[in-house]
Amino acid sequence: MAAHFFTLSIITLSLFVVASSGELESELVADLLTLQSESKSGVIHLDDRTVSKFLTYPRIPRPYSFLIFFDAANFHDKPELRLRELRREFEIVASSFITNHNSSNTKLFFGDIEFRESQSSFQLFGVNSLPHVRLVGPTAKSLKDDSDVMDQGDFSRLAESMAEFVESRTKLTVGPIHRPPVLSKMQLGLITALLLLCLPLVAKRIFAGETLIHDPKIWLSGAVFVYFFSVSGAMHNIIRKMPMFLVDRNDPNKLVFFYQGSGMQLGAEGFAVGFLYTVVGLLLAVVTHVLVYVKDATAKRLAMLFTLLVSFWAVKKVILLDNWKTGYGIHGFWPSSWN
Amino acid sequence: MATMPASASDLLKSFKLKTKQQELLIRVSILCLVYILAFITRLFSVLRYESMIHEFDPYFNYRTTLYLTENGFYDFWNWFDYESWYPLGRIVGGTLYPGLMVTAVLIYRILRFLRFAVHIREVCVLTAPFFASNTTLVAYFFGKEIWDSGAGLVAAILIAICPGYISRSVAGSYDNEGVAIFALLFTFYVFVKAVNTGSLAWSLASAFGYFYMVSAWGGYVFIINLIPLYVLVLLITGRYSMRLYVAYNCMYILGMLLAMQIRFVGFQHVQSGEHMAVMGVFFLMQVFYFLDWVKHMLSDTKLFQAFLRITVTCAVAVGGIALGLGMVSGYISPWTGRFYSLLDPTYAKDHIPIIASVSEHQPTAWSSFMFDFHILLFLFPAGLYFCFKRLSDATIFIVMYGLTSMYFAGVMVRLILVATPAVCLISAIAVSATVKNLTVLLRSKNKVVQTGSTKGSGGSKSSSKALLDQSQPFQKNGAIALLFGAFYLLSRYATHCTWVTSEAYSSPSIVLAARGAHGNRVIFDDYREAYFWLRQNTPQDAKVMSWWDYGYQITAMGNRTVIVDNNTWNNTHIATVGRAMSSYEDEAIEIIRSLDVDYVLVVFGGVTGYSSDDINKFLWMVRIGGGVFPVIKEPDYLVNGEYRVDKGAAPKMLNCLMYKLCYYRFGEMLTEYGKPPGYDRARGVEIGNKDVKLEHLEEAFTTSNWIVRIYRVKPPNNRCNIHGQSGTCNPQNLGVCLDLLGLVDVNLGNAPTKPCCSLIEGLVDLEGAVCLCTAVRANVLGIHINLSISLSLLLRNCERKVATEYICGP
Repeated sequence: MAAHFFTLSIITLSLFVVASSGELESELVADLLTLQSESKSGVIHLDDRTVSKFLTYPRIPRPYSFLIFFDAANFHDKPELRLRELRREFEIVASSFITNHNSSNTKLFFGDIEFRESQSSFQLFGVNSLPHVRLVGPTAKSLKDDSDVMDQGDFSRLAESMAEFVESRTKLTVGPIHRPPVLSKMQLGLITALLLLCLPLVAKRIFAGETLIHDPKIWLSGAVFVYFFSVSGAMHNIIRKMPMFLVDRNDPNKLVFFYQGSGMQLGAEGFAVGFLYTVVGLLLAVVTHVLVYVKDATAKRLAMLFTLLVSFWAVKKVILLDNWKTGYGIHGFWPSSWN
Repeated sequence: MATMPASASDLLKSFKLKTKQQELLIRVSILCLVYILAFITRLFSVLRYESMIHEFDPYFNYRTTLYLTENGFYDFWNWFDYESWYPLGRIVGGTLYPGLMVTAVLIYRILRFLRFAVHIREVCVLTAPFFASNTTLVAYFFGKEIWDSGAGLVAAILIAICPGYISRSVAGSYDNEGVAIFALLFTFYVFVKAVNTGSLAWSLASAFGYFYMVSAWGGYVFIINLIPLYVLVLLITGRYSMRLYVAYNCMYILGMLLAMQIRFVGFQHVQSGEHMAVMGVFFLMQVFYFLDWVKHMLSDTKLFQAFLRITVTCAVAVGGIALGLGMVSGYISPWTGRFYSLLDPTYAKDHIPIIASVSEHQPTAWSSFMFDFHILLFLFPAGLYFCFKRLSDATIFIVMYGLTSMYFAGVMVRLILVATPAVCLISAIAVSATVKNLTVLLRSKNKVVQTGSTKGSGGSKSSSKALLDQSQPFQKNGAIALLFGAFYLLSRYATHCTWVTSEAYSSPSIVLAARGAHGNRVIFDDYREAYFWLRQNTPQDAKVMSWWDYGYQITAMGNRTVIVDNNTWNNTHIATVGRAMSSYEDEAIEIIRSLDVDYVLVVFGGVTGYSSDDINKFLWMVRIGGGVFPVIKEPDYLVNGEYRVDKGAAPKMLNCLMYKLCYYRFGEMLTEYGKPPGYDRARGVEIGNKDVKLEHLEEAFTTSNWIVRIYRVKPPNNRCNIHGQSGTCNPQNLGVCLDLLGLVDVNLGNAPTKPCCSLIEGLVDLEGAVCLCTAVRANVLGIHINLSISLSLLLRNCERKVATEYICGP
């Protein structure tokens, strides 16, 4: 009898546990949904307590997957980590996913964990480098070993590749990514209206010929700037995201400003050479167009000498640098006895 | 520059010429010399190598030109090329700019008519230098138009040897740019002339110049956007004139109508977003004209102001709405990627790897500017300053041309070419104006300088006479020093240009040259060796797969069909090839078979140290492949973001098809003394996977320096090879089935049919039966079986449906 009672009690107990866990699961999902709706982008902010509540504690399999972005507010100002940008993209994925499923999908939730306030969660996941995004599947037992880490390649194309990562691991569809427009419709309308209002005024002044754009000096400085910008290879630096200088590999205290090898350059290097180009050209222009108005003969002489010396030095320097950089030894095809 | 040395002038005096005539004579002879110089400096490539077509794209141009000479214009226009982009093919007539080919054939016909027995190849090789010579003439006239004849002469000299231009116009560089730069400069010159004179004839000429440009090069988009921009600047700086109105409208309308005759361009002038600026400015012009008329009619200024406000607002609003509607309805196509990547330079890198992968689309570092322009770069700002000091419609144009093209040159290395004429012209202004003033000073012989200033071209009359007299001796010395400086710089420029032309820009890139250990030249002619091998040793209809760079050369020289080529119109197709190259062999073979490929060609520089080979291009194959097929992921091929081929390389890298094909049997090879076998000289490492085994491909040919390696795709294993080279199926493979047939007869269907079935699997039912019959007939053991019964039994056991009464033929 006692044995019967015992088994019975075990059965009821386990029944109770099953029922309660079922209830608990739906409760958890409901909690998550409310948290999700509270957040603006749909990313749930997790801390140590909520991590244990939603991820560590529930029975496996959990009824949902969790995609977690590991954030650290104190690293936001480090541009090479791209935390802010990635976080924004992460939010775009989250909000796109939620809108594409009309906020009714309970299979996947998006969360973020901040380093300062939840260091133990970072340890729990074994995260020691950022940026870091992790997908915790429903069956993951150990948060550290069984969850999928998004690798560098999945960040590369930002929100799109993150969505692909999610789709490949969870068999859920994220759907089209909804990026917020650069300007909201309201702003766009306002700007157009303003432009339209300004147009007649601008047109009037243009016809009257009294704006800045009628001043050749402005155009000249603009032109010289475009020239400087182009020849210094600034476009190259922007496209390739070149740093201004490198730290010498052999000697960390030394900085490398000039990169040997054509087709590549560092930021400071380009600006330096572009500056030399521009200086020589402008000095020539100044000599021929400004210096002649100077009345004082000695000042004129000094200026001339200065110009000559500076130009000579700059041209020499650039040509030497160029030969060093490209490795070409340029020589004339004279008869060899001349050399 | 128009001044002459004393001895020459004495000589000329003996001919009793007037000063004006002397000047003309000197000018014409200088121009003739420059004309010849521009031609002969481009012949370095012929002297150093031989008279041949260079690089990649020119081979396609050459092939089409050949076709044009052989088949005539209409066949050329309707040509469907089935040898490229297998299995898609390419409609050649509708997808190329025919200007270059038509020009070459025209020259060829003229020469033939004049009884010069030339081969079309020679004409093709020399087309670019010939047009470069013509460009110097245009530059002279252009310089004359914007400044004076001295500046024109200097511009002609500068552009004749400017490396930025030579890079694309050496003999053998039979490419669109060769004629297009001439067309570009000609169009600009004639347009500026039209704006300056307001003459209809010049505007008409500029429309035809534009037509020629459209027919020759896709860079015409630059013209069609620069000209409206120029007109817009003139309008807002209050330089609107009737001359401008005539020139622009005539050029736009006629030019547009003419350009539509080119099939490749078609209706883009009214449909694509890139051409909308020119149309918008056209309408704006009409509004201006209308306003001018109203202003003429209305005497009340206040009324006019009010009217002006309303009209301009309405016009802009209507234009904006029309553009918006066109965009939304899809009538106006949005900007293409190439155009967009010019405006937002980072666009291509993120979105279109195929554009970003081309070496000439890389952003420009300062050293490239230095290499291509040399001292012109120093003179450019001075020239700008001179232009601003003497603003006119023409100088505004050259400044805008210079600045826009400079900006674009910063975005892409190849666009240095477009900037070259502008840089030469602006620098020529600086050189000419400076030298002219200096020489005027020297020739003044202690008289009071006429212009009243030391070297001012602006002609300042403010400086006092006394001051001038006082500083006279110093001035002359200074002028002499400056002149020497200027000529020293110019001579450096000439030296630089000659050296660069001969050493850097004359290489055909299909024949490689290197300096040996003793300074002697070593020639690698592997490409042509490989292409001629293909031509001689492969079936006529063989399909060759290679990376797209070599497509044009294979079709032109090897005369074989290729999967992808340099006309990168279909990104997916290229990505498929990229995917095949970056997959494991057994995955790649599926793709290779689906594309009917017979041969795979790779370029490998590990033996010679040739660095632009397929291994170095491989990351782009991965990127382009991964852009379409996400299964290919770039990080799989990298180790900590680093690209390696040695032992530490990523496992996927070490086993992908490209790696295997390049390094097949390379592990046995000793390339450099004192280094282990399998030492890759191009990358300077010992390779990581020396034991490369190929399963589905076999080495067919490797050139003498290993630069090109060709692999044959093996036919599928262990199958009845009906389509084999003999045309019959191979009975030996079916020995298992033969035994079975005997068994089947006895056991009636209980035989272990599996091994046999797997053999005939993949064959069409009837083919299977025929193959079995052949096998039975060839059997020497003489098993007599009831063929009709056992065959159908066997085939049914293999779950094949076949007509039950199949009986082997005799």
